[in-house]
Formats: sequence, structure tokens, C-alpha cells
Amino acid sequence: MSFASFAGPFAPEILLLAGALLVFLLDVLKIRRTEIVGAVAVVASAGALLLVLADLGFTPIAGLATIPAGQIDAVPAVGSAPLYAFTSFGLIFQAIFLVAAFLVALASVSRPSDERGAPIFFGLLLIATLGMLLVALASDLIFLLLAIEVVSIPSYLLTGYTRRDRRGLEAAMKFFVIGALSSVLSFFGASLLFGAYGTTNLYLIRAAGTSVGDPVLVLLGYAFLIAGLGFKLTLVPFHAWAVDVYDGAPHEVSAFLAGGTKKIGIFAFFLVFLGPVLAVDATGASGYGLFGGAVALGPSVQITLAVLAVVTMTVGNVLALLQKEMKRMLAYSSISQAGYMLIGIAIGTSPALAGATLQVFAHALMKTGAFLVVGAVAATGVGPLIEDWRGLGTRRPLLGASFGLMLLSLAGVPLTVGFVSKFILFSAAVDARGWFIWLAVAGLLNSALSVYYYARVLKVMFFDPSPAAAAPTGAVEGASEPAILPLGGLGYGRAAAIGLIAGLIVLFGIYPQPVIGAIQSAAQHFLIAGA
Amino acid sequence: MLPLISIILATLAVGTVATFFAGARARWVALGVSTVFLIEVALLFAGYTGWPGYSTSLVPGFSDTETYAWIHLSWLRINYAVGVDGISLVLILLTAILQIATVIYSWGETHRPAGYFGLVMLTCLGSFGVFVALDVLLFFLFWEAVLVPMFFLIGYWGGPNRRYAALKFFVYTHVASIVMLVGLLALVFYSGATSFDFSSIYAAARGLAPEVQVFLFLALFFGFAVKFPIVPFHTWLPDAHVEAPTGGSVLLAGLLLKLGGYGLIRWAVEVLPYAIHALQPLLFLIAFLSIIWGSVLALAQRDLKRLVAYSSINHMGIVLLAIALDSSLGLLAAVLLMFAHGIVSGLLFMTSGSVHHQYGTRDIHTLGGLTPTAPGLATLLMAGSLASLGLPALIGFPAEFTAFVATWNGIGYWVLIPLIVLVVTAAFYLWMMQRVLFGPQKGLPAEVPGLPWYESAGMGILLAFTVLFGILPSLLVNVIVNSPVKGFPGT
Repeated sequence: MSFASFAGPFAPEILLLAGALLVFLLDVLKIRRTEIVGAVAVVASAGALLLVLADLGFTPIAGLATIPAGQIDAVPAVGSAPLYAFTSFGLIFQAIFLVAAFLVALASVSRPSDERGAPIFFGLLLIATLGMLLVALASDLIFLLLAIEVVSIPSYLLTGYTRRDRRGLEAAMKFFVIGALSSVLSFFGASLLFGAYGTTNLYLIRAAGTSVGDPVLVLLGYAFLIAGLGFKLTLVPFHAWAVDVYDGAPHEVSAFLAGGTKKIGIFAFFLVFLGPVLAVDATGASGYGLFGGAVALGPSVQITLAVLAVVTMTVGNVLALLQKEMKRMLAYSSISQAGYMLIGIAIGTSPALAGATLQVFAHALMKTGAFLVVGAVAATGVGPLIEDWRGLGTRRPLLGASFGLMLLSLAGVPLTVGFVSKFILFSAAVDARGWFIWLAVAGLLNSALSVYYYARVLKVMFFDPSPAAAAPTGAVEGASEPAILPLGGLGYGRAAAIGLIAGLIVLFGIYPQPVIGAIQSAAQHFLIAGA
Repeated sequence: MLPLISIILATLAVGTVATFFAGARARWVALGVSTVFLIEVALLFAGYTGWPGYSTSLVPGFSDTETYAWIHLSWLRINYAVGVDGISLVLILLTAILQIATVIYSWGETHRPAGYFGLVMLTCLGSFGVFVALDVLLFFLFWEAVLVPMFFLIGYWGGPNRRYAALKFFVYTHVASIVMLVGLLALVFYSGATSFDFSSIYAAARGLAPEVQVFLFLALFFGFAVKFPIVPFHTWLPDAHVEAPTGGSVLLAGLLLKLGGYGLIRWAVEVLPYAIHALQPLLFLIAFLSIIWGSVLALAQRDLKRLVAYSSINHMGIVLLAIALDSSLGLLAAVLLMFAHGIVSGLLFMTSGSVHHQYGTRDIHTLGGLTPTAPGLATLLMAGSLASLGLPALIGFPAEFTAFVATWNGIGYWVLIPLIVLVVTAAFYLWMMQRVLFGPQKGLPAEVPGLPWYESAGMGILLAFTVLFGILPSLLVNVIVNSPVKGFPGT
């Protein structure tokens, strides 16, 4: 195999690595202006995104594809133990990760241009994104967990990179300790599975099914993996770190953590608990069924996941209701959204998987956008409390409308992508029959609950009068309206990223077919070999 | 044939966006779009009825249907499917009338007019969409699309307690929507319908087991009934009405409440024939409760708007009663009642708003002797009240008369309950008119600014339709009965 044919499929990863190295090189050359290093990150992530979309076969750019057609969703030979595999499902996740990274990079270009640490920020962003892409390729537990480390270590650094405020450093420290613990748990779980199966390859584990190994060892292994990966995904009760970290990290980093890196957890869940699928016999006639592997251990794993999903949704929402600070509210809302995604795995049908994946995509857009808006608003000197946002919607109508759109999408109000994803997910739950309909009911009730705290922010932003300090001097409350501030001051990068997100939320809210069509066929490939 | 419904939707959508960005000229854009909308609705009507010689060439069933693929997955077929029948046409006509009347009535709105008129347009767009949607997802989208603009109309342009009212309105109706959505999804998947289209659900749902039908009906009923609203889920309505700006109240009473009734007819009663039969006693009980409770509470109100709001609960109770009768006459009565209530309550909310603008209060105890100072307004208020209590030659009469005949046919002497309550209704309107219009002038200004032309014109439009359809209800009846609903001659 020539180097080119080996490296070709990894073009997006190589592009990101090259971008990161270029950023560090510029740092050494003392070229550290945010705009310049930021541009490198924007171009690298956008290029990688285009390459991944081309590999997925989106028509206008399909010619750029670097992965040979037969290599995607190829069923490995029986008995082979590949470390990685190109699945269309993984590529979908790569695209989602890259969308989040691209948007964060784009918005971060508007950070102060002489800010210290800009090269560190953008370089680490690219490295973490590279790790995320590797996660989406994994087909071996060790490869998966190592790739997760490639994401985690830059994330710890990103959280504290400004080195200025204590909250950021404290958050980074906490993130590091908890992250290390979760890695330990995951590796321990993997070692238990190795003890049971004699391999860490997910294909082989899948092929072995329930026939091999000590069931207690297997169950324990999966339990440790649920805990270890649950930390990454911020499942309740493994969620406590997330709020402090999202709250303490710089806003753009929060956007990346909540909108991007967190999603590696859900992909790992998909991978470990549903797994890449191996045709069991040479004819390929019988696929390896929906509930092969972990879920076939009996309904116990399935019920565990369902309970975790409902608990995570509910606890996240209830705690979000109680928050006074915007970022903490968004953090809890992010936790609750993880619960929705988990529903998809608990059900385990391809519609549910597709719905959950669309939810991942929607959440990446919405939550990245929301934290970016928080960053933009904070840059104009508004405080961290929800109260401090009073009248913002009237003073900055476009920014307020964009944020309102993101919140409505998070709440699942129609004509937004957040609605479509929940609609498909809950449709799939109802379609799966049996007790799964209660997952739909729980999810819908939770959406109703969440409406309250999102609507409260809308109320504060649009209905409450501006705080006196922000109103022009001499303005009498209610008698005259505060001046509408121009879009300027946000910076073009931020404005572009936020506008783009708002546009995509509406576009895919109205016409989701291209996205959901691709996701659905990928999910089917992921579940049933040869289907 | 022209895809008329899509053209109307596009008109409204473009018009809404244009209104939002029109700044100070928003009202002109809104007026233009409303006029075009009214003309297009007339065309739709003409197409359905074969106007002018229309009683002979009616098209039975749905007309102007359009179906395009929207979301097609292996397990999910969602289409953009629209179409109208007699029931939806009548309610669409109501939408067009109320929209233009509201826009004209609100001509003097100076507080961020672009936002105000844009939201009014958006509300009407959503209502129109609900009435034409023949696909579950499309229906739900428009259903929710009505909610958001109304939230902002109340919360931004409303009275002193507007924030609380807006939030309450949003939470109540959104929770109801969610329950309805579960019901609709279960309806699709449990019936094994091949798509989310009305026609395929309609065909498939007949095969459902009786107990499943009942279960699904209850879920759907809850969703629709909160919008109705029925006792005991009605408390959002008076709050929302009292705080909403006049235009918001008109649309809320005139259109939003109708969405509940329409949804119940189209997506529950037609689709689940067994359930409505089995649950009849429960529905009657709820209807009677709403009729009595709304009427009794209306008696106790001092605020004009609150009075009209409670009378709405009473009227919508009669609508529920008529639907629950599960007869073709009952269905006809329900649609007529909804149309009548839409026009008349719109008129009443406008007069209440004008009274407030003129005298600075809506308190029935403070008001008195309006007739000498504001004869035009007094006349309009009186006409609206008389139409609401069902005076012949005004639109309320044919509707209520049909409802009572249908009730008599269906459940005999039980008709006495709504009839006796009707006396109470008459009593509170007469009492109100007596205090407000004819009593002594109690410290009110002797001179008032006088009705602005646009408020008179807005109310005049509604009054004209009140009289027109009061004298010629057949204009509506002939259309309604050609709907593809069991029992109508059109089927």
C-alpha cells in the first residue's frame, strides 16, 4: 500500500494537524495576532469539513472525496480486527464535530486581536478537533479511549488557557481531575471486557456476542464504561463537573465543550453499546441484529440506559429552572439534552438512532450558538446573570432574535431544527412500541418543562425594560425606548458565526430532508450489515 | 389548476416578513397583504362553490389539494399536504375577515408598529396553515406557529400584568400541544398509517381497537380542549385576554380558540368515530360545566374584557356540546357557532378596547351613560352584545338555534341546560348594557375624543358580516355541508 493510498482517506485529519502545526509555527515566529492564527484554524476546519462532506457524497462537492467508495461501510473480513473503520455514521459525526469547531473558530476570530494565548487557543482547538475525528473512526476500544484522550487533554488546557481568572483555572483543575478519573474508569471497563472476550476489538466483541466470557465480568465492564463515558457525556449522576467547567471556561471554549467535545461521549456510547456490525456468515444474509453485543445481554443494559436518559433529562431541566446565571442555565440545559440523545441508544432501532444523531447535530448548532452569543454579549460588558440581559432584545434586535431562535430551538419549538430532531426521536420512540412510548412521554414532558426557563429568558430579553445603566441618559422608563444598537462591536467573525447558526437552525427546521436522509441511511448501515 | 393554497401561504409568509422590515410603513404593507389575502380566500371560496350558481355545482370532499414529499425516510413519510373542505373554508374566511379588521382597527398603533403588525400577520398565517394542513407534522407546525406571535403580542403590547399572562398562556398551551403531539404520533404509528397524511390516517385509524381509540382520543382531546378552552383548563384565557392588546384579544378569541374546535373535528372526531361515541357522557359533562361555569363567572365580572372572555368560555362550551352530539346537524352547528363567535367576540373585544381608549377604563361599575357622549360606540357595543346573546337577524342566532335543535335531536331535554344558561347569558349582557350604556354618567368626561375612523371601520367590517351572515346563513351552511364528513350531503 502506497503512502498516498493509506493517507488519502485521512485527508481531513491531516489537514487539521497541518493547521495546528502551522499555528504553533506562527507562534514561534511571534506572529500571534488573533485574526491571523484564527484564520488558519477557520480555513483548516472548513477545509476538513468540506472533505468529510465530500466523503459522505453530498453532490456538489462529491468530487473531492478522498475515501474510495468501497471503503466506506465496508464489512471487514470475518476474524480481522481493524483498529479503525470508515463508516458513514462516523463520517456524519465527523461532520458534526467539524461544524462545531468551525463555528467556534470563526467566532473566536473576534476575540481581542492582541489577546495573549491566541495561538495556544486555536492550536489546541485544532488538536482537540483532530482527536474528535479519530473518535469517530474507532472500531477498537483502546483506539477509542486513546482518541478520547487526544480530545480531553487539549480540552483541559483550553479551559484554563487565559490564565487570568481564578474561576477558569479552578474549572480547568476540576475538569482535569474528573476527566482523568473518567478515563481510568473507562480503561478499567475495557480491561474487564478484554478479560471476558480476549480482545478489545469491537467487531470481535460483537461477533462473540453473549456466547463468550464470564457474564459478570462483561456486565461489570459495561457498567464501568457507562460510568467512564457517562462523565464525558455529562449523564446524571456523572454531570456535576460540567456546570462548573462550562461556567468557568472562556465563553468560546464553553461553546466548543458543550457543542463539540461532549458529543464524543454520545458517539462512544453508540459505538460501545451498539457497535460496528459484522456479518456473521460469509453470505452476509443475516446481519448482526439490532441488539447484538451489549444490549443483547438482556434488557438490563437497555433499561439502565433508559433510566439514565430520563433521570438526566429531568435533573438537568429541574436544575436549569433554578439557575440565575445564564451560563449555568445553559450548562444544565446541555446536561438535559444529553438525556434526549441517550433515548436513541436505549431504544436501539435505526429510526431512534437517526433521531438521536439529528439531536446531536441540532444540539451542536444550538448550544455552540448560545454560548457564542453569551461570549458576544459578555464582550459588550453585560454581566453573567440572566437579569443582566434585560432589554437586550430591544437594544440589539438581531442578536436578541438569533439568541431567541436558539432558545426556541433548544425548547423544541417548531420551524427550528431542535423541533425536527425531537420530533423524529419521539416518533421513533412511539414507533418502537412497547414501553418505549413512555420515553417519548418523558421526553415531551421534559421539553414542556424546559420551555419555562427558555421562555423566561425571552421574557427578560424582550419584555423587561433595560437596566438604567444601559439606557441612554435621560430616558424615562417606558416613556422612550432605548436606542437600537448597531450590529457592530460584536466583530465580523462572531456576527458571521451567529448569523450562520441562526440561518441553519431555520433552514433545517423547515427542510431537514438532506440532513436526516443522510443520517438515516448511515444509521441503517451502522446497525445492519449489508442493509 | 393553480396551487392556490400554496400561493396564499406564500403571500402571507412574504407579507409577514415584509411587514417586520417595513418600519413605519408596516401598517400599509399589512393592509395590502390582508386585502390580497381576502381576495385570494374569495377565489378559494369561489373555486369550491362554483360561484355564482353555487348550490348546484358544489365540489364534495377536499378541494385544491396539493401533496409534495417533505421528509421521506424508510419508516416515516411526511408530506406537504394541504387542501380545504367546507369546514376549513368557513374558518379560513373568518381568518381573512378578522385579519383585515384587526389591521384596520389597529391603524393607530405607534409602539413598534412593525413588530406589532408583523406578529398579527404571523398569527393569521399560522391559523390559515392549521385550517389547510392535511398532514400531521404540517398541522402541528402551524399550530405551534400561532403560539409564539401571540406570546409576544401579549407580552410586549399588553396591559400592566402582561408578562405573567404571556408566560401562563405559553406554558398552558404548549403543554397541551405536546400531549396532542404524542396523541397524533401514536395515532399515526399505532394505526399503521402509511404516511402522516390525513387521508391515510383516516383510512387506517378505523382498524384500531376500541380501547386504543379511546386512549388516543383522550390525548388529542386534552390537547385541543386547552385551546378551547374548557373548564378546568380555562384560567389562562381571562388573564391572556385582559392583558392582551385589543388586536391580540381579537385574534385570540376569534382565531386561536377556533383552532381547538377545528382540530377536534378534523383530527379526533372524524378519525376516531368509536371514541367519540364511547366518551360522549364525559364530553357532555365537560361541555355543560364550561357552559355553566363560563356564564356564572361572566356575571361576576367588572371588567368588560373579562366579561367577554368568560362568555367565550360559555360559547365554546356550546361548541363542544354540538361536536359531542356526533351528528351531522351538531357538526354544522359547531362550525357555525365557531364562525359566529369569531366575528362577534372580535367585535366585542374591539368595542371594549375602544371604550378603554375613550374613557380610560373598562370597569363596568365606573362606566355609565355612554350613549350621549359616544353614540356610535354605544351602538356597536349594543350590536355586539345582542349578537352574542343570539338575537335573530344577527349571526349568533342561526348558529345557536341550530345547536339547540341538534341538542334536542340528540339528547332531548338536556337541551334545557344550555337554554337556561342562555337566559343567564342574556342577563349579563343586558345588565352590562344597562349599566354601561344607559345608566347615569358617573364622573366620566362629558367630552371624549371621539372614535377614530380606523376603529369605527374595523368594527364596521365585523358588524357588516354579523348582519350579512345573520340574514343569509345559507351562504355558510351550503359550504359546510359539502365537507367530506360522515352524514353531510356532500359525502
